[in-house]
Amino acid sequence: MNPSIPRRHFLRAAGSLIALPALESLGYRAFAAEKKTTPPKRMLFLGMGFGVTRETWYPDPKQQGAHYVLPEGLQPLARHQQNFSVIQGLTNKFNTEGHWGSTFWLTGANRYGVPGQNFHNSISADQVAAAVLGADTRYGSLHFSTNNGLGDGHGPGLSLAWNAQGKPIAGIESPTLAFHRLFSEEKTSLAERKALFAQQRSILDAVLVDAKRVKRGITKTDADKLDEYLESIRDIEIRISKEEKWSGAPKAKAPMPEPAAGLTGEQQIKAFYDLALAAFQTDSTRVITYRQPVNALLKGFDLKNPVDPHSMSHYALGLSTGDASQLRDKAQSKLLAELLDKLKSIKEADGSTLFDHTCLVFGSNIRSVHSLDNCPTIVSGGASIRLGQHIVLPKDTPLSNLWLTLLQGVGVSAERHGDSTGTLSQLVS
Amino acid sequence: MKPVCTDSFLLRFSRSGTGSQSGARPLALALWLLWVIPQGGHSAPAAGGATPPAARVDEKHRGFFRDYCVECHGPKKQEGKLRLDEISFALDSVETADRWQKILGQINSGEMPPEDARQPSKIVKSDFLDNLSQTLVHARRTLSDTQGKITMRRLNRREYQNSIRDLLGVRVDVQDLPADGGAGTFDTVGSALFMSSDQFERYLELGRKALDHCFAKLDTGTRFFSIHREPETETNINTLKKIQKVDATQAKYLEWTAAVDQLAALPENQALVAEIRALPTVKAVPSRFYIQWSVRKPEPSPKAFGFSDASEAEFLAGQYAKIRIDKDYISLPHKDTGTYLTLNLGHSLEKIEAGKDWPPGDYLLRVKIGALEDSAPERRFLQVGHADPKNPNSPGASFQHFTTLQITGTVERPQVLEIPVRIDPETPRLIYLRERTGRGKDYKLTTDSLRSTGKGPKPALWIDWLELEGPVQNKPVAGAAKPKPPEPLFQLAGLSKASPQARQTEARQILERFALQAFRGKKAEPEFIDRLMALFETRIQAGESFEIAIRTPLSVILASPGFLYLQELGEEGKPRPLKQLEFVSRLSYFLWSAPPDEPLLELARAGQLNQPVVLAQQIKRMLDSEKSFAFTSGFLTQWLNLERLDLFQFDLELYPNFDDAAKEAARMEVLKTFEHLLRNGGSLTRLLKSDFVMINGLLAQHYGIPGVEGNEFRPVALPKGHERGGLLGMAAILAMGSNGRESSPVERGAWVLRKLLHDPPPPAPANVPQLTRLEGKLLTTRERLAAHQEEPQCSQCHRKIDPIGFGLENFDASGRWRTQDSYFKKGVGKKEWPIDPAGAFYKGPAFRNFAELREIIANSPRRFSATFAEALVEYALGRPVGFTDQALIQQMTQAAEQKNFVLSEYLFALINSREFQSK
Repeated sequence: MNPSIPRRHFLRAAGSLIALPALESLGYRAFAAEKKTTPPKRMLFLGMGFGVTRETWYPDPKQQGAHYVLPEGLQPLARHQQNFSVIQGLTNKFNTEGHWGSTFWLTGANRYGVPGQNFHNSISADQVAAAVLGADTRYGSLHFSTNNGLGDGHGPGLSLAWNAQGKPIAGIESPTLAFHRLFSEEKTSLAERKALFAQQRSILDAVLVDAKRVKRGITKTDADKLDEYLESIRDIEIRISKEEKWSGAPKAKAPMPEPAAGLTGEQQIKAFYDLALAAFQTDSTRVITYRQPVNALLKGFDLKNPVDPHSMSHYALGLSTGDASQLRDKAQSKLLAELLDKLKSIKEADGSTLFDHTCLVFGSNIRSVHSLDNCPTIVSGGASIRLGQHIVLPKDTPLSNLWLTLLQGVGVSAERHGDSTGTLSQLVS
Repeated sequence: MKPVCTDSFLLRFSRSGTGSQSGARPLALALWLLWVIPQGGHSAPAAGGATPPAARVDEKHRGFFRDYCVECHGPKKQEGKLRLDEISFALDSVETADRWQKILGQINSGEMPPEDARQPSKIVKSDFLDNLSQTLVHARRTLSDTQGKITMRRLNRREYQNSIRDLLGVRVDVQDLPADGGAGTFDTVGSALFMSSDQFERYLELGRKALDHCFAKLDTGTRFFSIHREPETETNINTLKKIQKVDATQAKYLEWTAAVDQLAALPENQALVAEIRALPTVKAVPSRFYIQWSVRKPEPSPKAFGFSDASEAEFLAGQYAKIRIDKDYISLPHKDTGTYLTLNLGHSLEKIEAGKDWPPGDYLLRVKIGALEDSAPERRFLQVGHADPKNPNSPGASFQHFTTLQITGTVERPQVLEIPVRIDPETPRLIYLRERTGRGKDYKLTTDSLRSTGKGPKPALWIDWLELEGPVQNKPVAGAAKPKPPEPLFQLAGLSKASPQARQTEARQILERFALQAFRGKKAEPEFIDRLMALFETRIQAGESFEIAIRTPLSVILASPGFLYLQELGEEGKPRPLKQLEFVSRLSYFLWSAPPDEPLLELARAGQLNQPVVLAQQIKRMLDSEKSFAFTSGFLTQWLNLERLDLFQFDLELYPNFDDAAKEAARMEVLKTFEHLLRNGGSLTRLLKSDFVMINGLLAQHYGIPGVEGNEFRPVALPKGHERGGLLGMAAILAMGSNGRESSPVERGAWVLRKLLHDPPPPAPANVPQLTRLEGKLLTTRERLAAHQEEPQCSQCHRKIDPIGFGLENFDASGRWRTQDSYFKKGVGKKEWPIDPAGAFYKGPAFRNFAELREIIANSPRRFSATFAEALVEYALGRPVGFTDQALIQQMTQAAEQKNFVLSEYLFALINSREFQSK
C-alpha cells in the first residue's frame, strides 16, 4: 500500500455521493476477516429529541395494514410508503422524563432502578449490535450527535449510545470531523505509525500505573468510579489494536466530497446522512447512531416569531409553535425520504442495494409535548421486517420489544433487551 | 402565553429541598408562622435515625381508591392484574414506587377512572394527585439516597481549566471536553461525572496544548510589548485623500460637460441635440446626454479632461454622490485629533493589532475616548471584540464582543479606559472597537436618518487614541528592579546539549516536581516516573530537543488519574476524618474551583488546618481572593438556573435595549450581589429584599435609576419601597421567567416555589393532555391561564404556581416595570389591560401587589435559608442532598440564623461540619 496517495484523490471532484458498489472499495476485500458472499447487515438509529405533532404525524389508527392514508407530517415520504412501516403503541414504561427523548430511547432502563443512585442507565441497542456487527470493520460503531442535548429534548447523554456499563458514549458533532475520521489518511508513514502505536501504549501503561496508586485504599464506590477511567483506557487499547490491524490498509476512499465546515440545521443533517451512507458503503462501520439537532433545524425555518425547541414541543396548531412543529415534521420526513432514495440507489456487490441490508429506525422516546406513550416510530430497510405497513400495537407495548425484534432481524442473537417481554410478531416478515 | 402544563424547562430536577424544617426556632410575629409549609409527601426526619422513613401516600386517600378504583381493581376484578384495595401505601422499594408512578400516570393522562365510570370531584382529584406526586418525588429521593456517601470526583470542566491555569499560567479552551453533569445535578457531583476514551484523548491533547502555550510564554521571558495608535493619522487622512480625488474628478467632469454644453448651444447643433434628447436612455437619465454626444461628436474629447472615454467620465462622476457620507464624516469638528465611530455606515469600526511575535497572555488596552454631548444616553457604550475567526474579513458582520463599556467622558473631556484583554494562541490578534450595536433600534435609526437627511445617524463616540501593551506582568515599573520571569517550572537552559546522564537526572526531577504539583501534594510512584522517563527517552531518540521531548511525559501527567480525580482514601460504610492534604483540596475546589495554593498546602503539610483560627483565616483569605468568583459563578449559575438566560434570544423589536450586553450585565448583577454579600458579612435575606442594588451604568439605564454611570458594579442605595432590591427585582431572574417576548407567570411562579419558598412543584407530569383551546384568542393572561384550574391534573400544581406568577406581572419579559399589558394576534386584533397583581398564596396569605408579595416571601426567610443550605451542601460535598443531610442542614441554618442569616456563616458551618471533613 502506498499511503502517500493524495487523500480523496479521485473523488474530490464528485458533486455528491457516487454510487460505488459497496464492499468493492480497496480496503475491505483485503482486510475483512473473511470474504462474505452476502452483504453484511447494518443498523442506523436516528433520534429526533422532542416529539412530533400528534394531530398531523400519526396515521389514523383505524387504518391499519398496507392501506392507510399518509398524514400530512409524513407526506414527503409518500414515494417510499412501501419502504417503511409506522408503528404505534410503543412505550418505554420506566421513563417519566418529559424532556428526555433520547436518554433511554435505545436502552429501556429505569432511571431509579438502582437504589442509592439517582441516575441509572444500561446498554443501548446499537451497542448490543456493535458487539457483533462491528467485529470486522475499522470502527465498531459511529455516533453522530448535537451538542444541544438538553435544549433539543434529547436529555442527558453525549449521543444516543450508552455502553455496557450504562455510561454515555461521546458523539462526533461536526460532519467535517466525522469525514476525516472515516476517510482521511494519516499523514505519517507506516513506520511512524507503528512507533506512535507503541508510544500510545506506553502512555496507557504509564497512566495505569498511576491508576493503581490512586485505587489503593479507596472505597468500593470510588473504585467503581475509577473503573470508568480504566474502562476508557481499555477501550483505547482495543482501538489501537484495531487500528494496528488496519494500519496496513489505507482508509476507504471517500465516496463523497468533504462536507463544508460549520454546517448547521438541515444542511448538517444532510451531511451526516451522507456520511452514514458513505461509512456503510465503504464498510468502515456497520452501526451508526445520530442524535439530531432540533434548535438549529428550527432556525432555518422562515417563521415570523422564532420558536425554541421547547416552546415548539408545547405547540398549539395555528400559532407559531404549531407551525414550527409541523414544519419540523415535514423537514424531517423530507430528509428521511432523501436518505431512503440514496439507500436504494447504492448497489451492493451482489446487485442488491444498501437499503436491503440496512435496518433504519427513526423516532424518539417523546410522543409530543411531554407525552411518553406511543413513541413515534418509523422502521425501514432490511431487518427481516414487514414494510409498507401501519402497525398499531396493543397500548404500552415495550419499546424494547422493537429493539429485540430488530436486533434479531439483523442476526444478533439477543434474548432480551431493556424491559423487553418478547418480539413483535406483527413486524416480523 | 401557553395555557399548557407547567414545567421549567431543564429545571426538572429540583435541586432544592426534601423536607421542611422541624425544630427551627419560631421568629416572633413572623408571618410564616401563620402560613404553614405544606407537608405533602415530605416527612420530617427522625433525629439521628440511620435510615430514612419510607415515603407514604396519605392514608386518607384509601377512600379515593375505594370510591373510584376498587370496583375494577379489587377483590372481584383485577383488571390489568392490578389490585388497589391491598396496595401498600408505603413507597419503600423501587418496585412499589414504579407501580405508584404508573397509577399516577394513568390518572394524570385521564385514562383512569374510565370515562363511563364515576368521577371524583375536581378538588378531591387535585388533592389526591398533589399528594401522590409529592410522595413520589420524596420516594425517589429517599430510594436514591446515597446514605452520605461521596463518590470520588473527576475535575469538571471549570475545575480542569482552573487547575491548568494555576499549574501552568495559561488558559485552555474546554469547549472540546464533553459537558459535565446533565442529570440535573451540580457539576461537582462525582457520580454524574463520567469518563470516556474520547475524553481521555482530549485531556492528552489539551494538556499538550497548554504546555506548548506555557513554553511559548517562557521563551519570551520578560519582554514587554506596546503599540500606540493615533487613528486620525490613518483613517481620516485616507478619507480625506479619497474625497480630494473624487472632488478633483468631479471638477474635471464639470469642465468637460460645460464644454459640451457650450457646443450644444450653437444653432447648427440644435437638430442633433433634439435627436439625442429624444433617446429613451437619455429621457430616463438626462446626464447620459454627454455619452451620446460623445458617440456622435469627437469634440470636446473626454481624453482632454483626463478620462479614457465618456463612459468612464460618467462612472467616476457617479462616485461623487456616494462620498457624501465621507464628507459628512470629515466635516465633523474633532477629526484632526481623533476618529468618530459611526453607526452601521461609514467608519463604524476602529482597531488595534497585537504583534505576531507577542506571546499569548494578559494585555491591557487603553482607549482615550469621549461621547458627543448631544448623543443619546443609550448610545454611549463602546464594545470591544474580535471578528469571528471563521469570518475574519468581514469584522462588521461577524463582530463578537467580549466587553461592553459605558462612556462617561466627553469629546472635550475624554476619559482613558483601561480594558484587560486576553490573547490566546487561537484568538485573533486584531482587536476591534465599535459603538454598542445589534440592538433593535440601530437599523431603524440608520434607515430613518438616511431617508430624512441623506446621511447616517450622527456618531455618538469619538476616539482620541488607542494603546495596547503587555504581557501585563512584564510591565517595567519605574525605580523597581527588572521584573523576574515567572517562577521557572522547568529549568531547561542549555539542557539540550547536556550529557545523557545530566539530561536524565534533570528530566526526572522535572517530572517528579511537576507530578507533585499536579497531584496536589501527593507523590507519584517511582514506577510511574520510570515510565514517563521511558517516554521522554523515546522522544529524544526520535530526534526531539529536551524541551520538546519533555512535553510528552508532562502531558501524560495531565491525563493521569492523580490529576483528574480528587482522591480520598476510605472504606465503604466507615466514615473517617479526611487527612489534611485531602481536606485542603476539598476546600479549595469548593471555594475556588481550583487546586490549593502553596500557603494552603504548607498549612496542610504542617497539620495546622485543624486549628479553628487558622482555618477561619484561610477561609476568609480564600473568599477575599478573586478566585472565589469561580464559586459564586459556578454555584449560583447552576443553583438559580441562570443558564436559562441563554436559551432564547430576546425579541429586539420589543426590547431594543435588552441585547446580549444587557443580558450579560443582568446576569452579572446576580453574581455581584451575592459576592458582595458574601465578602462583606451580608445577610442571605438581602436576596429576598434589599435596600440596595449592585448595578453598573448599563443596568441603571435599564432600571431607570438615575445617577449611576460607569462599568463597575457598585452598591447603590434604593429609596424606600422601590421595586428593585432582592432577586425578585432583578432583570436576570425576571427575564428567565419569559420566552423572550412575553412574561411567563408559570415559569416565574414555579421558580419562586422552587428557589425561594422551599416548596418545589413536582416534575411536570408526562402524558397530561395539552390545553390549547384558548390559544390565539384575545384574552388577558389571567383569562388564558384560567384553563389551568379546570382540570385537576393541572390545578394540583397551578393553584400554587400561577398566583405567584401573576403577582410578578408588573415586570415585563425584560424585567422592566409596567402597569399595562397587551396581547396581539394578527387578523384577530389587539387587547390591552391593566396589570392586576393581586392574589393569594395557596392556603396562604393574600397580597394586593408586588410589594406585598415580596414582603410575605421576605418574611419567610427560613424557607429560603433551607433551600440555600441544601443546594450548598450538594455543591460542596458533590452528591445529591438526601435524608442523611437533614441534621447538617439544620445545623447550618440554625448557626446562620443566630447571626441574622449572614451568608458566610453557612459556608463556615458547612466547612466545619463532620460531613465536610470526613470521607
